[in-house]
Amino acid sequence: MSDRFRLGSTVLLVVVLLLLPFIRDSVNEEVARFVSDSESSHAGLPTEWDENQVICIYFPAEYPHPVYSSGVSMIDAEGSIIGVNNDLNLTGACVGGFEGYTDGMNFMMDATRVAGGHLAVGYSVNPNWGEFVHTIGGLNDQEIQGDFNGAYWSLTHNGRYSVVGIGSLVMEEGDVISWNIETW
Amino acid sequence: MLDAHAIVLSPFETLVLNLSLLAVVAWSIWKAEKSLDSGSDLTILALITIFAITGRILLEPLPNVQPVTVVVLLVGIHYGATRSIGVAAIIAISSNLVMGHGIWTFYQALGWSLVGVTGALLSQSLRVDDKISVPRVAGVSFVVAFAFDWVVSASVLHTLPLETLPVYILAGLPFDLVHGVGNIAFAAWMAEPISDIMSRHSTSREVVVRPVKSSS
Repeated sequence: MSDRFRLGSTVLLVVVLLLLPFIRDSVNEEVARFVSDSESSHAGLPTEWDENQVICIYFPAEYPHPVYSSGVSMIDAEGSIIGVNNDLNLTGACVGGFEGYTDGMNFMMDATRVAGGHLAVGYSVNPNWGEFVHTIGGLNDQEIQGDFNGAYWSLTHNGRYSVVGIGSLVMEEGDVISWNIETW
Repeated sequence: MLDAHAIVLSPFETLVLNLSLLAVVAWSIWKAEKSLDSGSDLTILALITIFAITGRILLEPLPNVQPVTVVVLLVGIHYGATRSIGVAAIIAISSNLVMGHGIWTFYQALGWSLVGVTGALLSQSLRVDDKISVPRVAGVSFVVAFAFDWVVSASVLHTLPLETLPVYILAGLPFDLVHGVGNIAFAAWMAEPISDIMSRHSTSREVVVRPVKSSS
């Protein structure tokens, strides 16, 4: 009995571990449905992006971006600045006008590349929890000092905190993701 | 995290190396116990705690698969709630020195403490004829995996609003499942030998399983 139980439970564990990426993907698609409200998340963005996928990077007031330091620069998919929104009380940049992306990480890398290195992304990969973004546009979250324990780049999906990391994020048409610094 | 210096190990090679290291640790503790006088319950508690810390760190390549939950459950069954809470907190703090310490350490210590208390409360029902029941321990360890993960998930309420919690827990279900199935496997392999060891060194106050005759 105990030998069969040992063998059986070990085999079951290996099977579940091998199936984990598939189980996780299907659960993440369910999760994506809970954050499908993407209309209000386009507020403040160019109206021609209403149906498109957008990524925004917001920098803390103490650590402004060297280029996008006044208002939020709107950058189209070709890399041209099509406007600056000074009414958001934020500084940074949004890159928009994309469609067809489903993988959050692919979208983030492609969209930030459009800004020609100004929004370069640095991340590490944890074998368990996937991609962990530590640097965007030259701002490494480890360098941020202040009256708090630590700071990190926080991901928002359609205006809500994302419950999964960028590497697991499933995107739909019209989705807006944004990054800003949070502290703990 | 393991740095192999100039040699780059694939995740699978790292896992094989780590499993070998863990086997050496388990084997040496198993051997060391044979030469202990009976009644060395605090020594056993220390060795088992070190085994759980080592196991959690070495099994990091596998998501959410670690021996801590089953070990704390067994400590609760044999040595009672108070000691299991101490063991739970020490394991959480010590292993997080390597895996990353933060506010979640508190929730992990809390979660594993609750697992230990569960073991203590169920200690009578988790044995059959004075011997530990491996299937029952496996069953309970599967259920407490989910409970533990949800306690730790509650720590996100420091940064996320309450209405996000159900979605956060939903997103974590695959990892809860791996934790539960891993616990069943650990219970299958470890519940009997660890239970035997702890019985040989049980406190007079909390004898749960009849001591097995020592071979020495």
